[in-house]
Amino acid sequence: MGNGIAGLTAADSLRAGGFDGELTMVGAETRPAYSRPALSKALLRSDTDLTSHELPPPDHGATELLGRTAVGLDADRRVLTLDDGTELEYDGLVIASGSRARRLGTGSDELVLRTLDDALALREKLSSRPDVVIVGGGPLGMEAASGALEAGCRVTVVTNEPPLERQLGPYLSSHITAAATARGLTLIITPGARVVDQDGRSRVELADGTIIDGEILLSAVGDIPNTEWLEGSGLADGGPLAVDSRGRLRPEIVAAGDVAAFPLAGANVRSPIWHSAIEQARVAAGALLHGDAAPELQAQPYFWTELFDLNIRVAGRTPLVGEPELVDGALDGPALLRWRHDDGTAAAVSVNYRIPIPRLRKLCD
Amino acid sequence: MRIELDRPRCEGHGLCEEAAPDLMHLDDDGELVIDIAEVDGAALDRARAAVRVCPVAALRLAERA
Repeated sequence: MGNGIAGLTAADSLRAGGFDGELTMVGAETRPAYSRPALSKALLRSDTDLTSHELPPPDHGATELLGRTAVGLDADRRVLTLDDGTELEYDGLVIASGSRARRLGTGSDELVLRTLDDALALREKLSSRPDVVIVGGGPLGMEAASGALEAGCRVTVVTNEPPLERQLGPYLSSHITAAATARGLTLIITPGARVVDQDGRSRVELADGTIIDGEILLSAVGDIPNTEWLEGSGLADGGPLAVDSRGRLRPEIVAAGDVAAFPLAGANVRSPIWHSAIEQARVAAGALLHGDAAPELQAQPYFWTELFDLNIRVAGRTPLVGEPELVDGALDGPALLRWRHDDGTAAAVSVNYRIPIPRLRKLCD
Repeated sequence: MRIELDRPRCEGHGLCEEAAPDLMHLDDDGELVIDIAEVDGAALDRARAAVRVCPVAALRLAERA
């Protein structure tokens, strides 16, 4: 269930692992699977073509049911029910139903950036150089801000904490903020901002009542796992799917990607990024095929972002607290940085510094 | 099939190398090197997996010329 990179990787991994039985892929979108990281990066740039998100067509030989979603699961009878009433029986189930963008208001003019259709619509709108207001200073909001600035828009970001500070820590956050404001971004850091409907339009209202107005309002305030369809199945209580270290909810049901919360240091946490979805889907497919003999998830965190002419790659656990050690380069130019964690491990970061990812990873040992 | 690389598009994330380490690797400068381009059988499956995980669509499989 799910035709994003997690579902696709699971299907590929099942085939690579020798599964030659019947495979059915169900996807909510009618489009073939695509690269989600490209949507807020290359695809928003007006000088790039419209193929940066394209993935090669699948060859897992599955029956594809696209434009359909699941509405129910009877885990004891092993039956999945789709929105058109179809009942699918299964021996093994991969739940990769992903997540959707969180919205702050109710107006249809509040844009989000989650699907390819969202990205294409935003790209089109940016071409007329509107004034843009973005709520959210995480990777998505700041990448979109970067793209909108490059498109020639005036851009304001409203965020309740410094850009990317929660993800990357204060050092890189201030580095990104400096690059962003140097390029003309207006940054408003304030708690309590909300989206209100005023005169039939969605606008951002700060805690003191100030209205921040733009022709485009984009909310980039996180995602909500798609688990409502599992209500009553006994597998989810409204939140993400807490799986074991092999992605299992039951021996014959696994989950991977944005919908899944894998155990990490004593808690089940989601890791809604591209690389994690791939890692998790490989593990989950292995667990369906081999049970306890399959490898457990050995998460190798890897994250990258491109914004305001900064290409930042992070290997290892985040956030990054304190000052970095300069491994190579210069702090005001291309740099290879390292942060030591209390447990003896480290995280390595390249900023506009070309390095093979395996070498970046080695710096984490 | 033949693995083709759109080099300007490659950003060196290395997910392909993880999927098919026998077919390709990142060199010391972070540039992707295709070690074995012509693939079939089990290697073709790994090549497909490598092509699929590239987040910037820099790899593709083409029929042999």
